[in-house]
Amino acid sequence: MFCIIAFIVLSILGIFSASNRQLAREALDCVLRRVTLRPCTTGFDEKMKAKILGYVITRSEAGARFLNRYFEPLSWIFFFLLVGSTFFAVRGVYLYYTTGSCNGLNQGGFCVFDPTGQNTQFSGVDESCPVSSEGNVLNLTLEGVDLGGFPKLAGNPNAKSIVFIGSYGCDYSRKAYPMIRRLAQKYGAELVFLYYPVKEHSDYLAKVGYCAYKQDPQKFWDLNDRLFAADKTRLEDEAFVQELLKASGFNAQSVQFCAKDFQTEWVVKQQLAEVRKTNFYGTPTVFIRNEALVGPKPYRVYAIALEGLLYWLK
Amino acid sequence: MDIAAKIRADFPTLEARDGRKPVIYFDNACQTLRPRQVIETIQRYYQEFPACSGRSMHRMAAEVTREVDQARERVAKFLNAGRKEEIIFTRNTTEGVNLIASTLNWKTGDVILVSDKEHNSNLIPWQMVAKRHGAILRIVRTCEDNTFDMEAFEQALKAGPVRLVAMGYTSNLDGVTIPAAEIIKRAHRQGALVFLDAAQTVPHQRVNVRALDVDFLAFSGHKMLGPSGTGVLYGKYRLLEQLEPFLVGGDTVSTSTYDSCQFLPPPEKFEAGLQDYAGIMGLAAAVQYLQSIGYEAIEKQERMLNEFLSEGLEEIPGVRIIGPSDPRLRGGIISFYVEGIDHHRIALMLDQMANIAVRSGQHCVHSWFNARGVIGSVRASVYVYNTLEEAKLFLDSLIKIRKVL
Repeated sequence: MFCIIAFIVLSILGIFSASNRQLAREALDCVLRRVTLRPCTTGFDEKMKAKILGYVITRSEAGARFLNRYFEPLSWIFFFLLVGSTFFAVRGVYLYYTTGSCNGLNQGGFCVFDPTGQNTQFSGVDESCPVSSEGNVLNLTLEGVDLGGFPKLAGNPNAKSIVFIGSYGCDYSRKAYPMIRRLAQKYGAELVFLYYPVKEHSDYLAKVGYCAYKQDPQKFWDLNDRLFAADKTRLEDEAFVQELLKASGFNAQSVQFCAKDFQTEWVVKQQLAEVRKTNFYGTPTVFIRNEALVGPKPYRVYAIALEGLLYWLK
Repeated sequence: MDIAAKIRADFPTLEARDGRKPVIYFDNACQTLRPRQVIETIQRYYQEFPACSGRSMHRMAAEVTREVDQARERVAKFLNAGRKEEIIFTRNTTEGVNLIASTLNWKTGDVILVSDKEHNSNLIPWQMVAKRHGAILRIVRTCEDNTFDMEAFEQALKAGPVRLVAMGYTSNLDGVTIPAAEIIKRAHRQGALVFLDAAQTVPHQRVNVRALDVDFLAFSGHKMLGPSGTGVLYGKYRLLEQLEPFLVGGDTVSTSTYDSCQFLPPPEKFEAGLQDYAGIMGLAAAVQYLQSIGYEAIEKQERMLNEFLSEGLEEIPGVRIIGPSDPRLRGGIISFYVEGIDHHRIALMLDQMANIAVRSGQHCVHSWFNARGVIGSVRASVYVYNTLEEAKLFLDSLIKIRKVL
């Protein structure tokens, strides 16, 4: 059993050291002999045991005695630990690749590949941006949510659907949005945009967005792109928003008039209530094929959710 | 100040390096460490006159020729040989044994006597002679305590036409030195030649080939502070003249035609091809170094260390020392095994724990171990630069190992 552990450990160390490479070869020979039910005649395990004991004995005689007595059981324990840790390591890599977190989709906690947790951060609803609290992932749903009144960008026939809940003032939404746009465009997916102001000052933009889409659904997407790309400190400035409306080809005055209308306020409130039915707890939240992804993920994670592991072949 | 303290600074290997403690080198029976004087001599050859000896006429070649000649002379005086032409430079003791085994004019039925604890180098060549020439290899049993059994030897001598007595002068297994002078006297009385494998003798005690009247004697440079891959075969000149050449080719002949050649006299006819001139010069430097220390000091240091180590080992439960109980009969070698503990494990742990280098296994004396059913042993072999402090640390480490295993 010791040979197997030694082989794995020495193989890794052998990347950096020639002497360990030689030992790894001996360990491999020992492993091959063991798996073919032949005795390990090279004395490799004895050699390594002696080396380890020689090291331990200089620090603790009692430790060396214990190690000598229970070497085989300890080897088994380390073997199972190795198998377990290997499983979790491989699982972590797989999860990171497919969900952007070593711990699974929308899960926080330390991940060596994302040590700052950027892929799982989000702006919490009704709280200041950023907030990294975790909501209940399992409750996220599109069931019973009427997406009819929201901006929709049609995709190819039989296109898969992407639903993006985001806020112009949220850095994480701003990071995820361009990727979602690119993804929808590349794979011809249908994109539904649900604006949810996680900051009070951007409530006004919900109404502007609603009115703009009502005025011209095509131009809306250009305005949306501009709002996500614009300097977020200026989003409170109505004059600045008017400039963006004009730049996207809207009649800015008409949109502004609509945004201040009582009827618009009522509709927007209805829409925000509809968004809350998804039980989302932060932005960005992206629903792709009934899977909810909270926080800005790497592009590949969205692509895998949409097209599967082999997305890059399509 | 003891001799070890005086000379240790000459040995760069004994310095601490890479953050590790200095090595405690107890594997001197395999090969010794080299003093700076030897290393610098080798370096001098490569830096100043890396040329051929005896062949070319330029100044560098003349310098090499002179150095090699001086080396031969120094070795001849060192052994008290009759003339320097009796010294043949070889790669090691094994080559010396093979040279004799391959060049003596063997006849079917010739008897070769060897002891029962010979190094493979002084056993296998004679087995091959027996196989090729129909000679008979006869084993002379040693006493219970591994000392030489003169009675058994006498019986073996008288039992048949002994052509050659080939004995290890000092055993690499247990350090026991045989009574060579008496053996040679009795062998000669029966008309037999005597070859001595002196690999473990020349580094540790004075050897006077003329006083011994030995016919052939071989030893290695690397066991006596000299460079690796150097050795010497001594042979009485009249006997060397009678031997056929061993390896042949360049430097062994004075002239040649397409179908014949004229061999040079000894030693040239046995030194084929370009030699290890740097090694030969280094060997001479090692001889000079040994002479400057003196054998009395070497023997005294080894005896003191062996007595101390033997006494300490005997107190450790389960330890069995191979050879006579009197450490004065074992030179600088202490070969032992611990019942129930693998000898390799002990050696590896000593290395890991305290950077102590010892040999473990059957030390190329498989025949002895196989005949007695002993799996192997740990061999600590000390030399003049080893100290009492090192011996103490060795024993302390061994005691710890015994407690743990």
